[in-house]
Amino acid sequence: MLHYLVRRIGMGFLTLLFITFVVYGLVRNMPGTPLTTDPAMMDPSKQISAEEIQRLEKLYGFDKPWYQAYFIWLGNIARLDFGKSIPQNNKPVGALIAQRVPATLILSVTSLVLTYLLSIPLGLWSTVHSGSASERLVSTLLYMLYSLPSFVAALFLQILLAVKLGWLPLFGMTSDGYDTMSTFAKTWDICQHAMMPIICFTYGSLAYYSRFIRANMQEVVRQDYIRTARAKGVSPRRVIWHHAFRNTLIPLVTLMGLTLPGLLSGAVILEQIFTWPGMGRLYFESIGQRDYDTIMGLTLMFSLLTLLGQLLADVLYAVVDPRVTYH
Amino acid sequence: MRIQRWSLLSLCFLLPLATQSLREMPLWSAEKSFELGNLIEPFDPPPLAELEKKTEWIDQPVLDGMEVMRAYLKAKGKPQLSVKQALALHNDSDAHNGQILSTLGQLAPADGKGVDFDATLVRHVSGDLKSTNPLLISSVTEFEFQGLTSFGYLSFDRDFHYFAPTETVVSWQTSKDRLVDKFILRDDLTWSDGKPITARDVQFSFQVIMTDAVVVPAVRTGTDQLRWVEAYDDQTFVIFHKRALATNTTNLSFPVIPKHIYQASIAEDPRMTTSDYHSRLEDHPVTGGAYTLVKRVRNQEFVMRRRESYYRHQGRQVRRKPYFKEVRVKVIEDANTALLALKGGQIEEMILRPEQWASQTGDESFYARNTKVTALEWTSFHFVWNIKTPYFSDPRVRQAMSWTFDYDELFETISRGMYQRNRGTFHPTSWMFPQDGPEPYHQDLDRAEDLLDAAGWEDSDGDGIRDKVIDGKRVPFEFTMLTYQSQTGIQVATLMKECLDQIGVVCHVKPTEFTVLTQRVRDHQFQGAMGGWGSGTDPDTSTNIWVSGEGRNYGNYSNPRVDELFEQGRHEFDRKKRAVIYGEIHKLLWRDQPYTWLFYRNAFYAFSKKLRGYNFSPRGPFDYSPGFDSIYKPAAAP
Repeated sequence: MLHYLVRRIGMGFLTLLFITFVVYGLVRNMPGTPLTTDPAMMDPSKQISAEEIQRLEKLYGFDKPWYQAYFIWLGNIARLDFGKSIPQNNKPVGALIAQRVPATLILSVTSLVLTYLLSIPLGLWSTVHSGSASERLVSTLLYMLYSLPSFVAALFLQILLAVKLGWLPLFGMTSDGYDTMSTFAKTWDICQHAMMPIICFTYGSLAYYSRFIRANMQEVVRQDYIRTARAKGVSPRRVIWHHAFRNTLIPLVTLMGLTLPGLLSGAVILEQIFTWPGMGRLYFESIGQRDYDTIMGLTLMFSLLTLLGQLLADVLYAVVDPRVTYH
Repeated sequence: MRIQRWSLLSLCFLLPLATQSLREMPLWSAEKSFELGNLIEPFDPPPLAELEKKTEWIDQPVLDGMEVMRAYLKAKGKPQLSVKQALALHNDSDAHNGQILSTLGQLAPADGKGVDFDATLVRHVSGDLKSTNPLLISSVTEFEFQGLTSFGYLSFDRDFHYFAPTETVVSWQTSKDRLVDKFILRDDLTWSDGKPITARDVQFSFQVIMTDAVVVPAVRTGTDQLRWVEAYDDQTFVIFHKRALATNTTNLSFPVIPKHIYQASIAEDPRMTTSDYHSRLEDHPVTGGAYTLVKRVRNQEFVMRRRESYYRHQGRQVRRKPYFKEVRVKVIEDANTALLALKGGQIEEMILRPEQWASQTGDESFYARNTKVTALEWTSFHFVWNIKTPYFSDPRVRQAMSWTFDYDELFETISRGMYQRNRGTFHPTSWMFPQDGPEPYHQDLDRAEDLLDAAGWEDSDGDGIRDKVIDGKRVPFEFTMLTYQSQTGIQVATLMKECLDQIGVVCHVKPTEFTVLTQRVRDHQFQGAMGGWGSGTDPDTSTNIWVSGEGRNYGNYSNPRVDELFEQGRHEFDRKKRAVIYGEIHKLLWRDQPYTWLFYRNAFYAFSKKLRGYNFSPRGPFDYSPGFDSIYKPAAAP
């Protein structure tokens, strides 16, 4: 197992180098630099001189070929220096990302937990009641939810729950008087603000995961060993939970592993609609602004999480399936 | 095993490159040593007594922006409606718009009677405040923040006439040779930490801006045209210019930071962003304006509170009391959410998108709490033609493009009557627009075809596409038009394509990401492109768009007479004479059609019905004096 882990980590390290090298090459070769859309460059009443632009390009290292700049970036990363965001007034990228992590996690972790808590029972229930009228109704509803774009749902929810009924706040993460609230009131305030984004975050994946579990279960319940268990007089609950569900865990674990980077990636459109200070907007804006260091910082983080997620999934295979061992 | 071998090989390859790069570089860690004002050319200012002796001064205006506006409104006459009537109106015609603006734009009485001084205003911005440091100002949000919190010694009215504000300045004089400006500050000005604002702060700020290690390109541009700033005592500072130019006034003003706060820390962290000390200042800045920052939640909101030490000094009121006790600014990026927040009363003003103005703000859900106004804004849109391509080098071809476009379709269908016809580089309501200004183009396909024929673009092979022999090769008239990705940008460019189809010209419309579009036009890598410009406070700001070889002359336009006239305009100080010069430039550009000028876009604003005192300049309701200062909430409802 240890040998396997070392080999996987080594491979992961090389993959990281490859990903960051390619992404760095791509972003540096896109037309434009962080200076292109700098408001200072766009102000029609002023024109930054060519000498000043050259000076800035030199200062920021844009005069160097991209592959050379990549190794400079890599060297800085080795010293845990993620660089600075030029469009954000040279703010350190590490601090910029750290600022967005809590808000992103509030939505993604809550949504993920809710998705699993709801989709597993729903998937199992669908399996047990497969073909019944109630199961078909639920399936149709889930398909409808899956097809409904989250930004449309967000707008409807805003109009209904915030504007018409006034039950939930329309936007933002906290209320005006947040600073003066008690700890409980603060928590409740954030919960209220997070409710609509979480609903929008969750309903699509709820539909997907429950259908995913149902599809896998449908395959497993037709297996001989399930028939055997039933023939032996094992209770239906135990057949489904102990014999069938456990055997559908491998694809579910793969899916879980792949959701790890998603925990921090945020969602561009939902964050924008609800004015939620998450990671999605940061990534999106940094690409538009050619904010090289921020793009690379986020790329590195997402790549690392993806690789870790896959590694975690592989290790979990051994936990959920005794037939799997690593040498 | 294979993996390990690859790892070793890779490391052998990567490490030398990485270490070599590390030796060469670092981008951020190897800062140059700090030398305050090292970009300033050596200059030895004369003693004040000597300067006074040899200088003949011209007094410049020192005015109260609010009173300037009051006089302007008085000259316009009394509003036709009562406040109650204006608030009941729906803004669905020019007449109603004028009535709402003239009634609700009326200022509060000079003594502030009837103003609710305990009121809070909740404003809206679409992007977060990146920095509270006035030197790091760049985006619209920062300009709005600084407008409320920063100290300044120069301002301009809605007609872009510069003056020194009475709130901060005792006198402003310019030498007759236009090379020196002298300001005397009031002695009752304080920073938010109680320390006095002095001329030393102004000199120090100039030196900081002109320091290589301090990265402030936005504020250095213009300030770098000054030779020196000398503080002779706490109240008197003199600005020395390099050359006597009409544009010197626009360069006079730069952001001022407190010397006592930054003088010890700037050398250690010249970018003013990383040290703990500067990071703390970011959230707790020492400000010199009417308001000071009391709360900042990144990407969500920032809150400013009225500063008593701004308007009271040593126990007595010395300046007008700012109308709002608190100003909360909500950051809402999504325009739909912002409109819902406005309708729900969670924000009290916002810029409306044209489609919001036209179709989402006409019912009671909007008018229950709000009203809306539109006003002229000098923001113009155009197609720019790259003259260095074989297609657009001939002015007749460019004129043909302008005769081809279907303006009626643009104004009646695409813009739904909300935009105005564009009549060239200067706005028809501006002082630099010529008296015998040109009439707008209209669609005339016959004329366009005649011009293309005359320019040698004919359909010689009968394939329906015009062509021309250039350098021995037959070149079809087929070009690409870059446009931005908004709905209007795509619609307008597509309309042009459809019009050109009718005269045998093929146009490929290419919606392009904003950064790519900007870089492409800046590098002159385009054939035709759609673009737009806002307005500077002086026509000289157009120099960088029209003078040969300038940075924003994207279409490579070159006309020696235009170059010469821009230079003349810079040396002429009389506005009437300057108007003649810029009028001629306007007409020359219209003749040459380096752009096909399309439309002017208005300002569209929504305001809570609780607000009064908003008026507009060609740069919107805030970016002039009094701007925000005149907006208030009345103590009693009408």
